[in-house]
Amino acid sequence: MRRRTLLGWLAALGAGRSQAAFPGEQAEHLRALARVVLPSEVDAAAAAAKFVEWVRGYRAGAEMEHGYGFTRLRTKLALPVANYARQLAALGTRPSPDAVSAALEEAKVTDLPRTPDGRHVASDLMAFYFRSSDANDLCYRTAIGRDLCRGLAGSENPPKELRR
Amino acid sequence: MSTFESDVCIVGGGISAAMLALKLTELRPGISVTVIEAGRKLFDIENRMEYRRRSIEYAENPWPGDFIEDQSAKGVISRTMAVGGSALHWGGTCNRFSEEDVRLKSMFGLYTDWPIEWAELEKFYCEAERRLGVSGEPSPHPEDERSQPYPMPAMAMTHNLIELKRWAEKTGIPFQTTPQAKNTQPYDGRAQCIRCNTCSVCPTGARYSPDFTFKRLLERNGFALHDRTLVRKLVLDEQKATIRTAQAVHRDRPDEPLEYRAPVFVLASGYCWSPHLLLGSACSRFPNGLANSSGLVGRYMCGHAFLSAFIEIDAKIYPGMNEQHGLISRQFFRVPTGQPFLRHDLRVWESASGHEPRLRGANGRVLLGDALLADWRERARRGTARIRGYYDVHPDRESSLTLDMSSKNRWGDPMPVIQHKPDAASLAREGAVGEHFHALFERLAKNDNGKVLSTAAGNYWDHPAGGCQMGTDPAASVTDSFGQTHDHENLFVVGSPTLPNAGCTNGTLTFTALTLRSAERIAERFRRTA
Repeated sequence: MRRRTLLGWLAALGAGRSQAAFPGEQAEHLRALARVVLPSEVDAAAAAAKFVEWVRGYRAGAEMEHGYGFTRLRTKLALPVANYARQLAALGTRPSPDAVSAALEEAKVTDLPRTPDGRHVASDLMAFYFRSSDANDLCYRTAIGRDLCRGLAGSENPPKELRR
Repeated sequence: MSTFESDVCIVGGGISAAMLALKLTELRPGISVTVIEAGRKLFDIENRMEYRRRSIEYAENPWPGDFIEDQSAKGVISRTMAVGGSALHWGGTCNRFSEEDVRLKSMFGLYTDWPIEWAELEKFYCEAERRLGVSGEPSPHPEDERSQPYPMPAMAMTHNLIELKRWAEKTGIPFQTTPQAKNTQPYDGRAQCIRCNTCSVCPTGARYSPDFTFKRLLERNGFALHDRTLVRKLVLDEQKATIRTAQAVHRDRPDEPLEYRAPVFVLASGYCWSPHLLLGSACSRFPNGLANSSGLVGRYMCGHAFLSAFIEIDAKIYPGMNEQHGLISRQFFRVPTGQPFLRHDLRVWESASGHEPRLRGANGRVLLGDALLADWRERARRGTARIRGYYDVHPDRESSLTLDMSSKNRWGDPMPVIQHKPDAASLAREGAVGEHFHALFERLAKNDNGKVLSTAAGNYWDHPAGGCQMGTDPAASVTDSFGQTHDHENLFVVGSPTLPNAGCTNGTLTFTALTLRSAERIAERFRRTA
């Protein structure tokens, strides 16, 4: 077995354990953070639960897209779940927008990541939601369903307004 | 050593190999065909919906395992090596070239002519469209006349594309939907497109992929597919200048050499690995590599350059309706009389560029929750069009693929390095091309309160091809128009390597058409000898 493969497996094993335990005793911290960083139109608790599901489903060491135009072979890095725990603890169960903004400044997060990148749990939660098909629908207040398989019929019309 | 014998041995398992093998087994059902592919089979369409989900949610590779770690080339734009090749994850775009592409010398005094008449190529375009299952609409330009209609109606324009077409045509430039190998109705045993917006991993099979053809071929007697098998060298007959064997190694059994014998060998390994194998098969009688008495194997590596822009307009665009489908104008495939040579396609897609969520507002302060959503909604009032033009660049002889002695695979074979270089005429046009495109972007932006958000020039040549250029003169080309090498009568090259130039639009349909034509020539050999 290649050393790189073995190290990848070991890293994935360790990361998998901490991901499975996320958010541990900080579920309320995460829900509180979601209420601050996500729009009020969104069910923050449900969005936080989906983020937890996403973290648990993350596979460190998985191959990344290297298709047309991207020739470098890369694998997914481990999610810094331990950092998430520290960051959530620091923000507490009643984080203020100012505190979250300050934490993002301190973590040098300058823009919304394309996908969660492990720099801060707040920006990762925001990237997870705001980059989603659901958020795209919410922005346009229509059922675009970007990531769904929707059929061709009716696509010549504007997408229907969101039913709330 | 294990030895395998067949009537036709095809090296490489991409779209060209799939089309060639399929047609050969139809034309000559009695012959045996073996396809050897260095990568592995990825025939698990049942998993593709899950791969798609993980690609969307986690940015994971939707084609896991589609590469060989130590088999890489500098200068390639895709690492995919698997049964199906790059066409596993292609977008399915099936534009035709135009007569100008094959008559550059006689029409414009530039570069070279192809050794094939346009009418002949057009016939095989129709066949390629039928076999791949292309949906499309006729071009409005009489020069693009077709002898047969598209096999399927065009993909329906989304609301976004209808808006963008209305806007773009205010310039007086006609646009049409881009023809694609995607089913707008059930076709060839595959499902109708259900607009998943992820054509690079189509979870339903509505977009053509060579793995479907290979699966079908495997049900036929006489067809064999050896995956994970790397052909390292072609070996000549001791007496004649014909290929006797292909020496290979299975990646899981590297200590057991394999040998393939056949009366006909076909290289279908793409623009990189076909010339690479010829150069790597050098021997005392052909010290510069096989099929290389012209010295042109790995020369005239071609592709097209491109310029792109994002233009914001007053239009209600809903990003994500179908980002994979776009518009094309073929107006600039022609060069008006008396005008300097400048050819390109012009493409338009929906885009979210400039209207994506952002963490910081215009004043640099962090936006959270409702403030972020409000900022996003405000900016999303306008729509964005993504514009791109592929333009003609013709390769210099020194536009090359060479062997890089400093980079070797696990067997010690030197890996290739590709360095594109335009010819002097293409280089001299660069300034005019840039001015033309920027004027074109501004012309588009004049309508609907448009604003050019950004422009960019590509830093590589897209849709690469060449390296085994076809031609009539053995001193100035590697193969004839059927891909038969001038030096070895039982060795053919099919697919993108034989293209002298890469035109100004996607090349897959063109080299597939040429491959189908080659199949007829190869099949004739068996009628004569059977």
